[in-house]
Amino acid sequence: MNNSETDSSSNVTHGPVTSHGKLAEEIQAGGDDGEQSHEAHGGIMQYMAVFVALCFLTTMSFLTYSSYWPWRDEPQVGWAFMMAVSCTKALLVVLFFMHVLWEANWKYVLTIPAAMMAIFLAIMLIPDIGLRNRMVSQERALHMARGSDVLLLEKAASADSSDEVGKHEH
Amino acid sequence: MNSTAASIGHDSHGHHGPILQYQPGLPLSRGKLIMWLFLSTEIMFFAALLGSYVVLRFGAAVWPKPHHVHLSEPIGAFNTFVLICSSVTVVLALEAARANKRSLAKAWMLVTLVLGSLFLGVKAYEYSSKFDHGIYPWAPRGRIYERPDLYYGSAVRARLSDPAILAKMKELDARPEGELSDAELTGRRRLKQVRDMVNNPNQQAFDLAVVADQIMPLPGEGSDGHGHGGGLNDTFGWLQLPAVIPGGNMWASTYFLLTGFHAIHVIVGLIVFGIILLYELGPKRAGMIENAGLYWHFVDLVWIFLFPLLYLF
Repeated sequence: MNNSETDSSSNVTHGPVTSHGKLAEEIQAGGDDGEQSHEAHGGIMQYMAVFVALCFLTTMSFLTYSSYWPWRDEPQVGWAFMMAVSCTKALLVVLFFMHVLWEANWKYVLTIPAAMMAIFLAIMLIPDIGLRNRMVSQERALHMARGSDVLLLEKAASADSSDEVGKHEH
Repeated sequence: MNSTAASIGHDSHGHHGPILQYQPGLPLSRGKLIMWLFLSTEIMFFAALLGSYVVLRFGAAVWPKPHHVHLSEPIGAFNTFVLICSSVTVVLALEAARANKRSLAKAWMLVTLVLGSLFLGVKAYEYSSKFDHGIYPWAPRGRIYERPDLYYGSAVRARLSDPAILAKMKELDARPEGELSDAELTGRRRLKQVRDMVNNPNQQAFDLAVVADQIMPLPGEGSDGHGHGGGLNDTFGWLQLPAVIPGGNMWASTYFLLTGFHAIHVIVGLIVFGIILLYELGPKRAGMIENAGLYWHFVDLVWIFLFPLLYLF
């Protein structure tokens, strides 16, 4: 394979790789190579930059909860925003902290099929679980919570607080 | 022929067989390969859990808002911050071990262990506040009803006619007004009102909604949307009356399953860090720290998705 040839010739760009007559563990454990890959990974300053970015992004997703968020009436905007923020954070962690940025092409072999399986798993649930409330038995409809129950409770709460005000006036 | 073969077989170093040019299939160590294979199964495991949560949540007729189920967003954000910090300390431990700074590596590892424990502690606090409000993942202890209907009314009635509760209520009624705080005074009046409403033969559907609101109101945006601070269950801790949270039971199942599995992963990570701390953390152990770190970053990754999905959606 073309890939393995380039890997064995250039140690620095692809992180821990094997060379002739040496086990992968020996190379990884060897002090010199360790130093080399350390430099190739950009060092502690880069990790700190990623850390600051992660903290900033966490604050950003927390922003949707605060009163400064302008789209409070349209929750979908907030959801999309938070998922975008989460995916960015996940990407930062995977690429830099898990060193995937510097790994050879085997990373795709392991991550892409797993990610596809994960997406298929979720999609397969939609017909039975996601759409389960489109057609429900009468028995179930009798006992399941509906939006009207929330409204009823809110009405009870407002009736109660107005009742309370009345009592204070007496 | 024979003699050359023998000389190759037993060479001057005394090894058995010739030194082979060894080339593994993938350019990474066996430990790391196994860890990545394990992580790819973990990706599927958590993606299935998160996927079912999303599908359940958006397929539900009603899903409680985070403050309805007494979730605190700032606490969740704090835990996110703690996990991110612990991810950084693992990376720093790895870098220190590679540079042969053994005591520094050990210190960073210890900090990681402390941060992971802090995360678990905050999680335990959150769990206990759910339990205090009667939110449990299973039936015998859970006191959450889906809607204020007849079944709910009869559950409240059953609890109020429990001999132990009757004795406590008698005790409360007997106490002079001067001994009671303002909250307890209003609480006592409200409790009487609830008892009358629940036992009223001409009960209206709306009465039970009022009962549910008196026992445990659904908090509005911010802690207390309306007048009274907390319901009867908060004022009198011993009361433990059934409460209504529409969609609360499915929420509890998914919440405890997701965060529970995540917490188990955190515990496993902490055990691994504990074991690593027993070793000298020089360059020889860098591979070990790296593999443990890969696992820990994955745990962090799961929380990165769990936090917005559970606390902010």
